[in-house]
Amino acid sequence: MKVSCLQENLHKGLGLVARAVASRSTLPVLNNILIATDQGRLKLAATDLTIGITTWIGAQIEEEGATTVPSKLLGEFVNSLPPEKIDMQLNVRTQTLNLKCSRFESNIKGMDAQEFPPIPTAGPENKLKLDPDTLRAIISQVAFAAAADESRPVLTGVLAKFDDGKITLAAADGFRLSVRTGTVSEGKAGVTAIIIPARALIELSRMIGDEEEPIEVTITKNRNQAVFHTSSTELVTQLVEGNYPDVLSLVPKSHNTRTVVGTVDFVKAVKLASFFARDASNIIRMTIEPGTDLAPGRMIVRAESQEVGDQVGEIDATVDGPAIEVAFNAKYLSEMLAVVDAAQVAIETNAPEKPGVFKMVGSDEFVHVIMPMHVNR
Amino acid sequence: MTIKILPEALAAQIAAGEVIERPASVVKELIENAIDAGASEIRVEMRDGGKRLLRVSDNGSGIPSGEVELAFSHHATSKLNSVDDLFRITTLGFRGEALPSIAAVSQLAMLTRSADEPAGVELRLHGGRVTQREAHAAPRGTVITVENLFYNVPARLKFMKSSGSESGHINELVSRYALAYPAIRFSLTSESRLVFQSPGSGSMADVLVAVYGADTARQMVEVSAERSDAGEPGGQGRATAAVYGYLSNPALNRANRAHMVFFVNGRLVQDRSLTFSVVEAYHTLLQVGRFPLCVLKVSVPADEVDVNVHPSKAEVKFRHPGFVPIPALSLPDGADRQGEAPRLSFGQLGLEVQRTAAPLSPPDADDRLHGREWLYPPADSAPESGTSRPDVPPDERDAPLPILRVLGQVARTYIIAEGPEGIFLIDQHAAHERILYEKFRRERQALGASAQSLLEPLAVDLTPRQAVRLADRMAVFTEVGFQIEPFGGATYLLRAVPSIMAGSDPRQSFLTILDELAEEDEGRRVEHGGVIVADLTADGTESTADPLRQRREAMLIASVCKQAAIKAGRVLSLPEMQELIGQLEQSQSPRTCPHGRPTMVKLGLDQLAREFGRR
Repeated sequence: MKVSCLQENLHKGLGLVARAVASRSTLPVLNNILIATDQGRLKLAATDLTIGITTWIGAQIEEEGATTVPSKLLGEFVNSLPPEKIDMQLNVRTQTLNLKCSRFESNIKGMDAQEFPPIPTAGPENKLKLDPDTLRAIISQVAFAAAADESRPVLTGVLAKFDDGKITLAAADGFRLSVRTGTVSEGKAGVTAIIIPARALIELSRMIGDEEEPIEVTITKNRNQAVFHTSSTELVTQLVEGNYPDVLSLVPKSHNTRTVVGTVDFVKAVKLASFFARDASNIIRMTIEPGTDLAPGRMIVRAESQEVGDQVGEIDATVDGPAIEVAFNAKYLSEMLAVVDAAQVAIETNAPEKPGVFKMVGSDEFVHVIMPMHVNR
Repeated sequence: MTIKILPEALAAQIAAGEVIERPASVVKELIENAIDAGASEIRVEMRDGGKRLLRVSDNGSGIPSGEVELAFSHHATSKLNSVDDLFRITTLGFRGEALPSIAAVSQLAMLTRSADEPAGVELRLHGGRVTQREAHAAPRGTVITVENLFYNVPARLKFMKSSGSESGHINELVSRYALAYPAIRFSLTSESRLVFQSPGSGSMADVLVAVYGADTARQMVEVSAERSDAGEPGGQGRATAAVYGYLSNPALNRANRAHMVFFVNGRLVQDRSLTFSVVEAYHTLLQVGRFPLCVLKVSVPADEVDVNVHPSKAEVKFRHPGFVPIPALSLPDGADRQGEAPRLSFGQLGLEVQRTAAPLSPPDADDRLHGREWLYPPADSAPESGTSRPDVPPDERDAPLPILRVLGQVARTYIIAEGPEGIFLIDQHAAHERILYEKFRRERQALGASAQSLLEPLAVDLTPRQAVRLADRMAVFTEVGFQIEPFGGATYLLRAVPSIMAGSDPRQSFLTILDELAEEDEGRRVEHGGVIVADLTADGTESTADPLRQRREAMLIASVCKQAAIKAGRVLSLPEMQELIGQLEQSQSPRTCPHGRPTMVKLGLDQLAREFGRR
């Protein structure tokens, strides 16, 4: 193999695929990045056997070939090179990659590309297209609610439902649930529902950071994989097997009290209270009081800790329904608020021991359910 | 086989066998007689572990010359007049058995003079028969010399232990009585050398110094509690039960219960319920298999306790099992960390034992050691003079941690940290468990236990045993933050879990906790024979002050924290480790996890220097 490319392109490509490199693998080749010539371009690929990322960069190819080199070394090395042309040549016998850039020359020992597991690519199945902004928003508003704990593998994934030109993503970790609906620009999934590892979605969201073209999604049901394809990069992920609990039915259908507050106020109040909640099981209490003829409604956000002290914040609220006091975990509140993309948040509650439903005012695409906390005195 | 009445001598020997087992039993009987006689000084001498000679001298009331022989006939006593008296015994002896029993199995001489007689009497007996009696000049009081114990009972003689072991028992006995009667001056001489002496100053603290040495005594804390009948119908605010004594700082502990001394109404007793209660009071502060030191004097009205259970009077029966203050669970919340000691709350009485004094302060104890008051050799020299009381240097289990600098992690399980005197290996799981446990308890006390509801109730199938265990503890589970509902058959719905557990799989954690509680139940049964458990459950199970319930709650919290704590095998970043160690430094009892296992191992600089041959 003998190729030349720009440092800039190689650096960017390596950064993309390095996300899929296995951090601690018993299979040494998985710590490496595959470098191969592919139809006039240079292909970079990495996988940890759950997800795989492949990207193609422009290069001048003089001689076809492929090898794998340690990801960390190559990445850091290329990152430090001057932004000039890099010439790469592979010594097949020793599997040593020779890199020349400006007045620097190095030899990096690699491993045979034959040992690298093949990364599946999209086949001729059903394709659907999603707007990158929509996809990014959906992922950011849902994936964080997936369980981090591996004990219930299904919950580490995100449920994706396809229905009549719409995609619905839902994630739950046993204490909260996040649901977001988006529009499919074009095409059909060919399946009704899949479970995508949350990690794959987070990597995908990072990968399509500045993508403007629609993202092509292919679901190969028989291989239990999903492929996300952008103009120059492809992410393949294994799907989570199993049945996702019917979480959508857990969203309460009705409410007694609906409270609308300004997002900025709410974020501020939760943030201030969370400093005090840290030492008290993370409990934030919200007292919602409807307005009267004289005064507007308000929501009091409170946290108290035996050791640190206490804090009370008051924000204006439009309250429709009776007064209520309900307590939530500060972490769940702040994580939810971090993804809210609207000026106002609506809080729908029934009773202190019933779930709280959070929505963005002006959009019914996002629904977030948080289970309350209570204190046994 | 014909039935016949045993010869008197043989019957006397058999009766003696119940009371007199070994030289120490003789000493016990004679000391109790001396105390009943109002002595202010009791001297014990022994030769050859008491096998060859035992002499107990007192300056008590003595025996009038006319009654001397009577003292050696069976059932002769000055301490009891009627059957009714038997149920309000205020003296230590009452059976009229001790002297004849001792006399039956030894060669005994008694020299005694009562205060109002000009001359005393010396009486000699061999095997219970008077061989000599003569008027003799004598100081006020009684001197009893027992020689060649069991000379006429070869079977007993064969079973006597070595002199060292027997003298150890006598030493222990004398020092225990000295603790219970600080106003009496006790001394013990072995082979003409003084091995123990108490000052007779009236202060138990002084005796502690004499018995255990200043270092150990310094780590004992005075406690006292009283129960009055003010709150009861017909009560007049009189004290009906009281406990006074010293408990060791958790840092000071031993591998067995031998150093837990109890006196009930001045009588040395071995009572399992008392021992158990005190061990319970140290719950989670001591490693499994370690026991505190304590000297506790329990006073209850004479009619509340039956001492006539066994001839040797080492056991007592309480009329109302719940009557004796049972020290309940005590985490020293908020206790100052210097010399922290458990504050006992005597749950069943609704009493709180407060620390009535600071631990013996070092200057105080030292002053006494080197000061003028002490007219006899300082207690610290006692071990050298042949007593069998090895003074284990107190470890530092409960002392506050020094500031530690985290160096790294080993095997994804242990944190290595450097302290001023060496390196510490800290078990990350155990340490986190301790931190969470204390935090949980604090929060629970201040604000109540916080629970996190589950998005969807989890159905959990329990085995019949698990279900029983859960039913037993349902109230405790609820109080800690679980919300569990029966869902027909063996299925239960888990609706909420303690918020601390929100990070782990609720179902799995719940099942693990239930299984862990099983081990607790079984461990308890093995250790305590189930008897005490029954005693404790018999009374007021549902009151929150109930020690069993409190214990169960503590065990449950410990189990919950165990589930919530970071596990071994998790890689921790440096800031994470620093945070963990920082919090551990703030803990009340940083050196053990709530289950009593150590959280850390210290490798001292001295030890390192030795290992490297630097010294």
